[in-house]
Amino acid sequence: MADTTVRVKPTPDVTTVRVKSLEQLVKRGQVWSRMAKKYGVTNPVPPWKSSLDGICDALNEYATVLPLLTRRHEEDRLSEHQYAELPFPESQLVSLAHSLIARGVIDETDLVNRMAAIRTRLESCT
Amino acid sequence: MTKDAPMVEEITDFEVLEIALRELAIEKGLFTAEDHRRYTEFAEGMGPTPASRFVAKAWTDPAFKKRALEDPIAASLEVGIDWLNPTGFGTPSDFTALHVLEDRPTLHHVVTCTLCSCYPRPILGNSPEWYRTPNYRRRIVRTPRQVLAEFGLFLSPEVEIRVEDSNSKHRFLVLPVRPAGTEGWSEEQLAAIVTRDCMIGVALPKPGVTTNVARTVHPAAEPLEGHSAGK
Repeated sequence: MADTTVRVKPTPDVTTVRVKSLEQLVKRGQVWSRMAKKYGVTNPVPPWKSSLDGICDALNEYATVLPLLTRRHEEDRLSEHQYAELPFPESQLVSLAHSLIARGVIDETDLVNRMAAIRTRLESCT
Repeated sequence: MTKDAPMVEEITDFEVLEIALRELAIEKGLFTAEDHRRYTEFAEGMGPTPASRFVAKAWTDPAFKKRALEDPIAASLEVGIDWLNPTGFGTPSDFTALHVLEDRPTLHHVVTCTLCSCYPRPILGNSPEWYRTPNYRRRIVRTPRQVLAEFGLFLSPEVEIRVEDSNSKHRFLVLPVRPAGTEGWSEEQLAAIVTRDCMIGVALPKPGVTTNVARTVHPAAEPLEGHSAGK
């Protein structure tokens, strides 16, 4: 008789994975609170925050790769441990990147390359 | 000639990371650029103003207060919020039943979300940072009186405290007791003292107070078993 048991692959604990490129980014410390103070800007949140919220809501809508509760639980754990030195909302952004990379949804090398290309693009206009 | 507002004149790693994540997610088909644009516009348009008006209206109009308590979703339409379609294109994480929690002199409500950070965003805007933290979420349900005191809200022992736990379907808005000294005030004047914190329940409205208290965010000193990384 055929074995019809459904075996669910356990979800890996992605919060124990290390993502070196994100760790290096954290070390450079360009957090909004510091940058805003340096330039005398008073906005309490960085300009990319609403776009980050847009990403999270759009991911929630489809909930296929990273369901809301999974994302929030991982953000809680990562923000309390691996990225404890980051303030909010940088911790939210980096935790989201971590969750997507550690799951293999986004490749770390692809992200690093894309970041370099985006920086070149943005700096070409300054 | 006016002086330009100061701006951060460096391209930061975090700004670049946000763009890169978004571009790669769109290319992989996790969502579309149009989805992202609409949700971002929704995020930029949210704020606590409709909720402040909701409470002020309930204080000044008994018929509205009745509607607000009996059918808050319908009553929200009167302050311009359509809960069933707040963005005009749907927000699955916000589709919900809204409940209005009416305080009394001997009953105080405070809201949390022990699971994550569910919050009545369409009417109250984005949650504050402290609301998202495990520290607040774990402690407010265990020692609410102590946590409220840390916010500067000291309630006398005869005031019962009820903590409401939000979830993906149910969101809560506190309707505080109208404070003394506001007799004859207009709805607009009243709305100005109904701060976000009053409607979460960590503050009480007070004449002259129109801003939320800045609160330092602390990590949990004693995280729950099994909640630390590596376990």
